[in-house]
Amino acid sequence: MLGLPSLRTLIALALLVAPVAAAAAKDLPKPEEQPLLVVSGAISNTNLDGTASFDFDMLEGLDTVTFTTKTIWTDGEQTFTGVQLSDLMELVGATGNEIKATAINDYAVNIPREDWVDGGPIVAFLNHGEKMPVRNKGPLWIVYPFDQRPEYQTEQIYSRAIWQLDRIIVLD
Amino acid sequence: MQTGGAASALLLCVGLVVWLGWLVLREIDDFSVANSDNLQWSLAQADVEFLQFRLAMKDAQDNPAAMEDVRRRFDIFYSRMVTMSSGRVFHALRESVQSSAPRMRVLDFLEKTVPLIDGPDQEFLAELPSLLQQSEQVTADVRSFSLAALAAFAEVSDSRREGITELMIYIAAVLLALFIGLTLLAYAMFRLFRLAQKRADALQFASTRMKTIVQTSPNAIVVTDEVGVVREFNTAAEALFGFTRAEAVGRLALELMVPAETLGRHQFGALAFLDEHRRPRPEEQHFEITLQTRDLHLFPAEISADRAEADNPLYVFYIRDISNWKEAEEQLTEARDRALAGERTKSEFLAVMSHEMRTPLNGLLGAMQLMRDHSLTERQGDLLDRMQSSGRLLLELVNDVLDLAKFEAGKMKAEEAPFSINRLLDGLVETAQPLAQTYGNELNWRWSGPEGDGAIGDARRLRQVLLNLVGNALKFTRDGSVEVEVEYLDAARTEVEFRVIDNGIGIAEKDLARIFQDFETLDSSYAREAGGTGLGLGIARRFMRLMGGEIGAESEPGEGSLFWIRVPLTPVEAVAAAPEEPRDHPDAPQRPLDVLLVEDNEINRFIVREMLEGEGHKVTIAENGQAGVDAAALHRYDVILMDISMPVMDGTTASGHIRGGTGACAAVPIIALTAHALPEERERFRKVGMTACLTKPIERPLLLRTLAEVTSGDVPALPPEPGVAPAAAPLLTVVQPQQEVPAAPETELLDEERLGAFLSEVPRPTVDKLLERFYAEMDRNIAALAETAPDDPDLGPVAHQCAGSCGPFGVEALRRALGRIETQVKRGDQPSRAELAALADLWQQSRSALESRLEAA
Repeated sequence: MLGLPSLRTLIALALLVAPVAAAAAKDLPKPEEQPLLVVSGAISNTNLDGTASFDFDMLEGLDTVTFTTKTIWTDGEQTFTGVQLSDLMELVGATGNEIKATAINDYAVNIPREDWVDGGPIVAFLNHGEKMPVRNKGPLWIVYPFDQRPEYQTEQIYSRAIWQLDRIIVLD
Repeated sequence: MQTGGAASALLLCVGLVVWLGWLVLREIDDFSVANSDNLQWSLAQADVEFLQFRLAMKDAQDNPAAMEDVRRRFDIFYSRMVTMSSGRVFHALRESVQSSAPRMRVLDFLEKTVPLIDGPDQEFLAELPSLLQQSEQVTADVRSFSLAALAAFAEVSDSRREGITELMIYIAAVLLALFIGLTLLAYAMFRLFRLAQKRADALQFASTRMKTIVQTSPNAIVVTDEVGVVREFNTAAEALFGFTRAEAVGRLALELMVPAETLGRHQFGALAFLDEHRRPRPEEQHFEITLQTRDLHLFPAEISADRAEADNPLYVFYIRDISNWKEAEEQLTEARDRALAGERTKSEFLAVMSHEMRTPLNGLLGAMQLMRDHSLTERQGDLLDRMQSSGRLLLELVNDVLDLAKFEAGKMKAEEAPFSINRLLDGLVETAQPLAQTYGNELNWRWSGPEGDGAIGDARRLRQVLLNLVGNALKFTRDGSVEVEVEYLDAARTEVEFRVIDNGIGIAEKDLARIFQDFETLDSSYAREAGGTGLGLGIARRFMRLMGGEIGAESEPGEGSLFWIRVPLTPVEAVAAAPEEPRDHPDAPQRPLDVLLVEDNEINRFIVREMLEGEGHKVTIAENGQAGVDAAALHRYDVILMDISMPVMDGTTASGHIRGGTGACAAVPIIALTAHALPEERERFRKVGMTACLTKPIERPLLLRTLAEVTSGDVPALPPEPGVAPAAAPLLTVVQPQQEVPAAPETELLDEERLGAFLSEVPRPTVDKLLERFYAEMDRNIAALAETAPDDPDLGPVAHQCAGSCGPFGVEALRRALGRIETQVKRGDQPSRAELAALADLWQQSRSALESRLEAA
């Protein structure tokens, strides 16, 4: 369970962290398809009815991060690709200190600001480079780099690793 | 053993802790990484989600627009089931649960439904009623699967809790064990601490006590290390040496206390062991030495020293200043010496005085005897009797005092020689018979009990004591009887009692005790009449003590007295002859003899000739051995007097020639004349056939008696062992006087008796002529002797010649000194130079004494 991050992951992280700053504070385009994720609440950057809504292409167009880790819910190594929660919150101009993430099945959990860090959780939309169906915890899954940072291997963090994510409310 | 136990206990503890630590770490590890999120939630959620799926389906029956919701709910449930089929969380479930029929059926339902869900709405709606129907069954399956899983998880978490409980118990147990262990350890540590403290206390106490002992010792105590550096210096040492402890400690003890000159010469003497860094041997541990104080004052000290062996050996010295003691010792010695000298002087004075008195007394008595040869009137005869009687009494007194003085001077010791008790008593009775007749008494002796005879002891003194007792008994008895009884007191005959019993006046009880004291006479008419010095019994008592015997008396006034002596005597078989016994021989030859005198010393020659010719004998002179042999070959003499040490041929060789030859005198008796005959020499005389031996200086009575004996043919030859058989009268009687008064340097310079005899026998003009020659000869020879080397071969002969010359003049001290030197040379020893050098002084003193004596005469 414990383990060092693989060399590949590190390289990926190093390559992908740099462009994050550049993505800040640009206008959000409007989603062209049915949004996968709707961010509402204390945000400054919106694109649809006071929310920041994202379809798959929008998410894919953002700076993404890919890492490989094991999870307690899956068998074997899983490679996840997604947008860092921190990047996402920056993009939407989240001003609150906490978000409330809710799943399709109405599972909801609060994630505090201290988790929105570089190298922290991502809003994954690809598993093994493929889209995730709802039948297998898709379409979005907040995944923490469990293997890379063993301190994430706690029940609290596990409870925050919400799958079938579709809404985020940034709380004041 | 204890260490081993402690080590294994420690090891066990460490093992326990490690094991427990490992367990705890594993548990922490397990807990630090959560293995599951809320499982129960998931299971309950499965139920809920399936129900929502069913509700959605029911809605869709009425409202086909709700199809999307059905699909979403299906997907959600599907996802739930997928989640519960994979992941570590799900693997914790038992195989049986995983493969349980309800789950299989649920999965089966899902797989069958997927095509419908993914298919067109129409087809799905058509199937919906049957799907709903099926789902009813599936609801139950989901439920039972959920319950089974829950039960399984409960089991897992139970076992896990049990594991944790177990671990906690382990922890508690190990903690307890650790606690007990630590407690024990603490206790042990405490014990050790207490023990160490106790030991430290004891050590401290011992050290303090030791220090106190050392400090309060009246003797100086100095402790040094192995090299001699002072480590301890007590108060007494400070007082003795004048150094303070601080000054002394750290310095070398030898430099501090031993005088510098001693150290400078590297003469450590008794302290050598310190210099040699070793333990003093037992005989080296106590010694006296001279030490010095700080102000270089030297003092005698007594030291006890030893070395305490340890890693760092220490020397301990107990030092005592013995100045006072030494001084006292010296004073005591001096006082004792003075006292002894005083006592000796007194005794010597007595002895000398008695001796001095004897000579004129003898002269008086002799003159009286000579007067009898002249015709006397009766009155003159009476007077002469009284004079003689008084003279004898005086002589007796002087002899008594002399005995006493000799005894007190410690110069007397009992003799050990065989004698016959019977003959002793015969002689005693015979001697005292005239006295007995004087008082009309009967005198006899007899054995009481078994009779004996031979014994070894001091016959002469025994006889003197008995004679005294018998004399007393006779004097205090009138017309009565005096009897001497003799009896062995034990079967071994080692103790003999002599009893002298009279029936005279007796002695009162109160006087019995004091009669043995010196100068005691009982106030009685008899006593005054009988006279006496009052010394007799005192001397008898001393003689008995000398012989190891006792003396005592019992008496009844008016009835008589009994005096007894008990004396230890060693019994012997038989004794040939008793020396004390009066002999049958007359005191002088009965006829004029023809004598050959072989003598080289002119003075001796002259004197002997004077003695013999005065008695009417004819004397022929030969001046050395060879001349003697020649003379003896030509003429038959009655007797030959043969000096031993002579030039040309000595007396022994000459006698051998005479006996071995066929000359006229081959069988004539030969009398050896020698200054002092050693036993081995006399053996030699006997072997060459000499008949008797006379010791010079020659005394007239002895000479005459010996002549009488040898010419009567009674003594055919020298006895084979003269020492054992003293019965050989001429030898013994001659030699004895020398033994009785041991040769001592302090002998008076002149023998008055001899000198007196010489002067009375030799006419004065002749004396002067002889003296002149004597002085000349001695002056020359003594001077030579005093410077002669001790190994000079001439030493013996010259000493002999001088000794011979001294004899007639009674120059006794010098004669003896010369005699000793001669004896030493004869025995092969060398006299010391000092002894030789001393002769010159002695001669000067002797000559002065002789000159003044002759002036007085």
